[in-house]
Amino acid sequence: MSLFVATLQNEFVKTIRRPRSYIGFGIITFICLMLQAAFYQDGKEILSTVTAQIDSIFSVQGNILNGNLICFIVLQTLIVQMPLLVAFVTGDTLSGETASGTIRFLLTRPASRIQILLAKWLAGLFYTLMLLLVLGILALFVSRWIFGSGDLMSLNSEGLTIIRADDINWRWMGAFGIAFLSLSVVATYATLLSCLMDNSITPIVTVMATIIVFTIIGLFDIPSFDVLKPYLFTTHMIAWRSLFEDPVPYSDILFSCGVLVFHLLAFLGLAIYFFNRKDISN
Amino acid sequence: MKSILFCCLALLSVSAFATDDPKVLIRELNKKFAVVQDYTAKVQMDFAIPGVKMNHMSGQVYFRKPDRFRMKAKGIFFLPKQNPLQQIGSMLLDTSAYTSIISGYETIAGHHCAIVNIIPTKDNAELILGKCWIDVANPLIWKTQITTRNNGTIETQNQYGNDAKYTLPEKMEIRLELKKIKVSRMIAGDINKKSKPKTAGEEPLQTGKISLQFSDYRINSHFPESDLQASQE
Repeated sequence: MSLFVATLQNEFVKTIRRPRSYIGFGIITFICLMLQAAFYQDGKEILSTVTAQIDSIFSVQGNILNGNLICFIVLQTLIVQMPLLVAFVTGDTLSGETASGTIRFLLTRPASRIQILLAKWLAGLFYTLMLLLVLGILALFVSRWIFGSGDLMSLNSEGLTIIRADDINWRWMGAFGIAFLSLSVVATYATLLSCLMDNSITPIVTVMATIIVFTIIGLFDIPSFDVLKPYLFTTHMIAWRSLFEDPVPYSDILFSCGVLVFHLLAFLGLAIYFFNRKDISN
Repeated sequence: MKSILFCCLALLSVSAFATDDPKVLIRELNKKFAVVQDYTAKVQMDFAIPGVKMNHMSGQVYFRKPDRFRMKAKGIFFLPKQNPLQQIGSMLLDTSAYTSIISGYETIAGHHCAIVNIIPTKDNAELILGKCWIDVANPLIWKTQITTRNNGTIETQNQYGNDAKYTLPEKMEIRLELKKIKVSRMIAGDINKKSKPKTAGEEPLQTGKISLQFSDYRINSHFPESDLQASQE
């Protein structure tokens, strides 16, 4: 166990010391601040394009443009980009070692291959968690500080749902929890590809390509795509949005979480399988 | 005997006059409302708007004559642009701005009501036609239907309690016709939901309802002016 802990510590240190780990934090900070500045300046105008139909009939009372709405918009925007940031770091955990030749040195250590893989995988999840934590602080707490708190006007294709401010914090916790699970699937998929490939770039590009293709499939209402959609993990990555519906479709959310957990375990199992059989002699 | 007969005839004639003359009904209404210079009340709001899911909420209503109105609540809520709470009382007060005629009678919630049509005298008035269902026996507005130039038709149905003597309702249900509020899938970012096939022709109108339950009326409390100032909450 102490061997595993030492390996894990080593992987955490490696993740922290790599300059590329900080690119994701930089991008998230930049996007959050940019969106907050844009909404601070032109928020009412931007919102009026969405609320035009309501404004023609009703006089909307209360502060719509609040921190909760900004966080909702930021999370919706970044949930498509964040997998790329996660893959950027987790995609070369093993392939980077293979490319640089350090994998041989790594595997001469007493820790088993499974322990090394799990340590790298957990370090990847820790990085993902840190990214989400930064996103949460910037998108939710900083937005609430700038725009104030208030009821969330959640937009969905069925219309509008107003979530009361005193009923929202548990939803955010759940949303960030599901976002973490979704990004963990991406991190695990990137780790799997990293086991299979011998250079740093290919796993990262493959993860990006997979997400882009799956997202495009999800966008179109084509019957042949509808057959595929339930099996794509990208379909379930936005399950967090369902927490902002009323009533909350718990069964749909649990199903999505189940699909994500299945993908995560399958990718991890395959990664262990392939890494145990990886030929490092060449 | 003659004097009794005379009194009965006189009462009958007044009664007949009252039911046939909308001005008398409006004057009686205005007389009750004239006592009220301002009021505040607690309000419980319930919303049933097509395409909008919103829980009930409570707040406070502030009104000061002639037509200053504010509904204060913590959170987001919708009120019709043409606010009947603000509009009806002040509309009836200015008797020179409209002509009134009785177009029929109808029983609303067990009350025999005259349907009083309010037709503005000015051509460019925002109001096109107002209809008030006024109880003939005890002049109170039980139902209204107001059509304006910019905001269509809005209906209200009232129930009265302890403050009926001031014409202040205990419950008001506001109904308006509108198309279901929709947000495009792309704007909503709701990429997992399937688009519903578009039906041929124009989408039918649906009825939206806002129910307001008033309690704890405080009449002529002379609340501070700041309570009427809107602020972002």
